[in-house]
Amino acid sequence: MRFQDAAKDARAVVYAGIQADPLVARVATLLAEGDAAERLLARAAMNGERTDADVWRRIFPSLFGKGSDPARRARAESVLAASLEVAERGDAARSSYRGAVVEELTARLLARRAGPDSPVRRERRVLFDGVRAEIHPYDVTVESAEKPEVYDCKWGARGINSDVLNQLDDARAHAAEEEIGLRVAIVVFDARRSCELRLDRSSANHDRTGLVALESLDELAERP
Amino acid sequence: MRACRYATGVNDRHVVTGRAAEAYRALADLAETVEDEWQYVTDLVDAYLPAIEALASADGGRAPTAAETEAVDEAIAEIGLITDPHKAIDWLSTFPHVVALALGGDVDGPGADGGADRVGGAAAGEPDDDSPFRMLGGLR
Repeated sequence: MRFQDAAKDARAVVYAGIQADPLVARVATLLAEGDAAERLLARAAMNGERTDADVWRRIFPSLFGKGSDPARRARAESVLAASLEVAERGDAARSSYRGAVVEELTARLLARRAGPDSPVRRERRVLFDGVRAEIHPYDVTVESAEKPEVYDCKWGARGINSDVLNQLDDARAHAAEEEIGLRVAIVVFDARRSCELRLDRSSANHDRTGLVALESLDELAERP
Repeated sequence: MRACRYATGVNDRHVVTGRAAEAYRALADLAETVEDEWQYVTDLVDAYLPAIEALASADGGRAPTAAETEAVDEAIAEIGLITDPHKAIDWLSTFPHVVALALGGDVDGPGADGGADRVGGAAAGEPDDDSPFRMLGGLR
């Protein structure tokens, strides 16, 4: 088993421009330091109809209300401002930005436990001897020789589909054939319960595929 | 007098959660127009609508503060502006958690799993007593 850079088609080149936008890094940095409530705020504001910050302050009184901790409120203000910048990119662009944010956030959380022998990489394919390569690269990989990991990132539970689950499980199975324990997981910036509802209806094999949902993103920074 | 105040608080909470549930049903009606996602929309509604209604008795059934009521009403106004059924599906997942955070409750319900674990593993099915949204409602 080995990792390889994905070939860049025209769509990938355009998307790479979004991934490199400093706004993506700023949102991901804030969310990596944030808690579940701040991440819920970001999810709501980045997907909202209104971009008036006062509206969102009223919707989240536990973050912005009179009794809220000043430090926490300041952090929430930063999350809100950055999230609204994403929302203001318009409906067409914001979905690409949101996807890029989830990938960057995942990479940053994983990087907290990464070392020289387990680098975190982006947009990588996994190749197995005698197996035709998958077309779609994995969003984030931890390329440890002993305990490699691959992650597919989704903005919402609705992004969970059979293609994604089958690709992840196939990779795990092929790695197992080479006696390598490959951890495969989906990271979804959505509520765990919604993800589980989606998965419950899927006929694709996902018994050994991990789920990291909005509430538990910090676990990416912990060794599995 | 105390019994009277308690009854008013309970009623206030029921009224607020009732409005949220009504708005959620309207959002589901819009989301259902995406035919390919009818099953997922139905599953979301089956899971979250009772959970929103159950918020009426969460946190001891105390009366919501003015800020909490305003938060729920603003969230209702937000989803009322949605015209794209695909966005409506996204909000069917988000709205219940926003309302629960505002009211100090939990919409994860029995069967949810609070940790990052296997999708179909042993942890699934355990009650979620540690919902981060609920825990983080007040303090980090």
